[in-house]
Amino acid sequence: MVVLRRLLYSQRAAPYLFIAPFVITLLAFWMLPLARTFMLSTQEVVFGQAAFVGLDNYQRLWEDRLFWKAMFNSARYMVLTIALLIPIPLVLAALINSKIGSDRVKAVFKASMFVPALTSVVVAGIIFRLMFAETGTGLMNQIVGLVGLDPVRWLRIDTGGLIALLALAMWRWTGVNILYFLAGMQAIPEEYYEAATIDGAGRLQQFFHITLPNLKPTIVYVTTISVYGGLAMFLESFMLYRGNASPNDQGLTVIGYLYRRGIEQNDLGFASAVGVVLLVVIMAINLTFLTLSGTFKKESAR
Amino acid sequence: MTTRRRITSLLAAGLAATLALSACGGSEDEGGPDAQGRTSIEMWVFAELHGTYYEAMAEQWNEKNPDKQIKLDVTVFPYDEMHNKLQLAVNSGKGLPDVVDIEVNKFSNFVSEDGRTPLADLSEAAEPYEDDIVQARMDLYNREGKQLGFPTHVGAQVAFYNVPLMEKAGVDYKTIKTWDDFKAAGAEYHKATGKAFGIASTDTNIVQPLIMAQLGGNLFDEDGNVTVNSPKVVEAVEMLQDMQKAGAISTIPGGSPDIEEAYGPINDGEYAAVVYPAWYTSRFVDYMPDLAGDIAIAPAPIVEGGEVATIGGGGTGTAVIDSSPDKEFAMEWLAFAKLSPEANVAVWEELGFDPVNMSVWEDEEVTHNPENKFNKYFRTNLFDVLNQVKGDIGHFESFADPNLPKVDEVFTTSTYNQIFGDGVPAKKALDQAQADLENQLE
Amino acid sequence: MSGERSTRTRIQLPYWLHGSVQTAFLLVLTLVVLAPLLIMFVATFQDGNDVIRRGLSFDVDLGSLSLDNYVMLFTDSGPYFRWFANSILLTVVQVAGTLLVSSFVAYGFAVYDFKGKTALFIAVLLLMAVPFEIMMLPLYVLVNDVGLADSYSVIVLPFLAASVTIFYFRQYFLGIPKDLLEAGRMDGATEFGIFFKIVVPVAKPAFAAMAILNGMIIWNNFLWPLLVLRSESKFTLPIGLNTLLTPHENNYELLIIGSMFSLLPVLVLFLLFQRFFVAGMTAGALKG
Repeated sequence: MVVLRRLLYSQRAAPYLFIAPFVITLLAFWMLPLARTFMLSTQEVVFGQAAFVGLDNYQRLWEDRLFWKAMFNSARYMVLTIALLIPIPLVLAALINSKIGSDRVKAVFKASMFVPALTSVVVAGIIFRLMFAETGTGLMNQIVGLVGLDPVRWLRIDTGGLIALLALAMWRWTGVNILYFLAGMQAIPEEYYEAATIDGAGRLQQFFHITLPNLKPTIVYVTTISVYGGLAMFLESFMLYRGNASPNDQGLTVIGYLYRRGIEQNDLGFASAVGVVLLVVIMAINLTFLTLSGTFKKESAR
Repeated sequence: MTTRRRITSLLAAGLAATLALSACGGSEDEGGPDAQGRTSIEMWVFAELHGTYYEAMAEQWNEKNPDKQIKLDVTVFPYDEMHNKLQLAVNSGKGLPDVVDIEVNKFSNFVSEDGRTPLADLSEAAEPYEDDIVQARMDLYNREGKQLGFPTHVGAQVAFYNVPLMEKAGVDYKTIKTWDDFKAAGAEYHKATGKAFGIASTDTNIVQPLIMAQLGGNLFDEDGNVTVNSPKVVEAVEMLQDMQKAGAISTIPGGSPDIEEAYGPINDGEYAAVVYPAWYTSRFVDYMPDLAGDIAIAPAPIVEGGEVATIGGGGTGTAVIDSSPDKEFAMEWLAFAKLSPEANVAVWEELGFDPVNMSVWEDEEVTHNPENKFNKYFRTNLFDVLNQVKGDIGHFESFADPNLPKVDEVFTTSTYNQIFGDGVPAKKALDQAQADLENQLE
Repeated sequence: MSGERSTRTRIQLPYWLHGSVQTAFLLVLTLVVLAPLLIMFVATFQDGNDVIRRGLSFDVDLGSLSLDNYVMLFTDSGPYFRWFANSILLTVVQVAGTLLVSSFVAYGFAVYDFKGKTALFIAVLLLMAVPFEIMMLPLYVLVNDVGLADSYSVIVLPFLAASVTIFYFRQYFLGIPKDLLEAGRMDGATEFGIFFKIVVPVAKPAFAAMAILNGMIIWNNFLWPLLVLRSESKFTLPIGLNTLLTPHENNYELLIIGSMFSLLPVLVLFLLFQRFFVAGMTAGALKG
């Protein structure tokens, strides 16, 4: 009783009690599986019996065309989502942030843009799959038909599938990114612009010389989560193609390949090697990015 | 290494303890009959209809065997989920059912290359029925003399022709005997109507193996190495690609005839011929009501001087888990539920599949029952067609190869899409598949 | 608010026209963004198999619309509402647990100095960047080995100390004046008393934002439950809906109307608490 009492009042013991849940989580649900992944990646497992095979899995991985295809697909998706989901929301945010136009319309617009983010990937995937149906009666093919083109076999061709994936990503994330940028813009002091106006800078110049530099932290953040989200994308493709198999593996992502080899084909060793490689890649990109943008410096200065 | 393993297992124990606190542990069935003399059998299936069928068979069994009743507990999972879960359960040896339906393309995932398997040998249980069963279908699930699963149907491949549409175009389906005839008829039909005739399936590996088997080809050599670019395999796929170029077959929305997206166009008369296993009868009856009375069933096109007339396509092997405490009981019930004449009548009448017990094929009362919904729907009788090819139903050896699942995956995601979707020459696409598979199976 | 700075165009339009062009543009965009949901809503009145065969389409036969699917949803939708209840239960329990545990941990990081703090905090930062999908496989093997598949506990427990949520709370707690905490100590409160009586009430907005963020993630959680759950009676909405997508089951009416209906709770909450949603979903960028 006394001990407990002392513990409750002790400023020395308290922090450890506070952070204990994190330490347990870290050990049980991250470090242990991580160790297991590394271990499995050097094994071949057949019906629960493991045999040590050294770096065999990594060598197979290196020579595996599908692995590189999956890597390429994930990287392509990541780069394109960043290329689309930063400039477009940025411009739309600037539009909303301007004094022109009706505030009520802007409020409705902001709220509407946000609604897709509330839609789960499962439901959004079902909707987009049906919109991009390959029959002439599907919505996208009707739109294509208005321009006078033949129906497109959307999800059966590489470009068509990519367009569908990107459309889905834009639909779900444009609204959220607008809000990020809007928050960033509204934090820029009005005086900066006033001073620039006095110096005779035009609106475009102001945008490039004041708005953009001041938004850097926001842009860094959005880029970071986009790198992560892009490389780890799986569910969007899984729902759009109704499962993990797509024509010519055009929708296969790294996580999808990990899932295929590990869960579907029961090749735990190989799948673990895929996981380890992905982990290394994501860590490397993120650490580089965070170092370059100076986030770590800020953290250690606290 | 050992210390690391010890640390790992310590952590695992810690995790187990943490999790166990709030987990609702499942009670393990220890086997044997319960207080009411009923033996509990847990079964996993991946199609609702199959589940209904097994429940009916459990009832029939209980009527016949008052002294050893079965209490069947069927769980229906989606296709992918069921096979995935079964694999992981097999790995850990925990949470396994007693009996399970395994799709033929996944079956080899449950037998390792050196012959290890978590599935029980059903040979003994099959004995009473053996003589009447189509041997080719038993062979599908036989590995090195062990019968690891029972088939559900023959799935003999046949042709379904839309007669009114073909008549309007001046094409008579009765003249189609060989693939060359099929190609010529298709080209003529396409020319007359501007519409597609047959189907070039990109997402299933069913019709392609039919032609491979007819030509005497195989996807693996005698030592079990992949040979998906061997001459006869290439020839078979080239035949189909030529048909596509001639306008006799075309790709279909959904990628294969057996999917909702495809039922629409077939029902609307956008396609006039479907070569597919006999169980496709049920798809017509259930999903294409507009075509009632229009469809004639005929033998599948053949290759002149070919090895076999037809082979089975698709299928489900039902297996008993070797570690099940009620293994013996489960095997006995399963043999009754899948191989007995009673069961096979039900397979036809309930599911519309061509049953594996051929004694049923000769039972006119069953096969020509005018009240049967399948007999009502089609212009010709399925069993007349089946009896025509009966002695000539082959077994495509590749279907029983341990590496079939991987070949199937590569074919249905990449190869056939490249060939029929993008027009890549068959040889080139198959060479690519061979290279990919060699690396995967290394 | 902050000026017409970013919208000057080269062509000098009259001010009122300029505004209308912008308004019209935004309205059109609003329509485009809402179109997928609207068209799916229309599909809930149509025959499910037909929608799957033809795809979602503008071309709707008005005569074929009916309320049949709605009748089916409320009278004959099998386990659908069971899944719905499971999802609500799981979301509420997990959100509450995550907020409690994560804020607890964050407080430890924010107000104390202790050995190993820096290393552990770097671990928090790194975990934010590790996709769970990598851990999923070994964790699943582990869960299977100890025989705990098909239980909610393995869905909830690994995510109670969520790194993003910890990070956010920690940033928030850093802004709470130390004097406030000292005052609590003077009054004889325990360290935990201080947390619950002083810190939590002050941090209400943070809790609201994190409740929304975690709620959204958990309500839509898919992959991990898909692997772990076995019994249909334990399925959550996303898992259950996904099973309806397989060609073997054929309940496309329920797939379509069930998908739309699953959006309802989130949409209603959004209309009521729009501000918190915005704060929650954009929480990450507040302080970098």
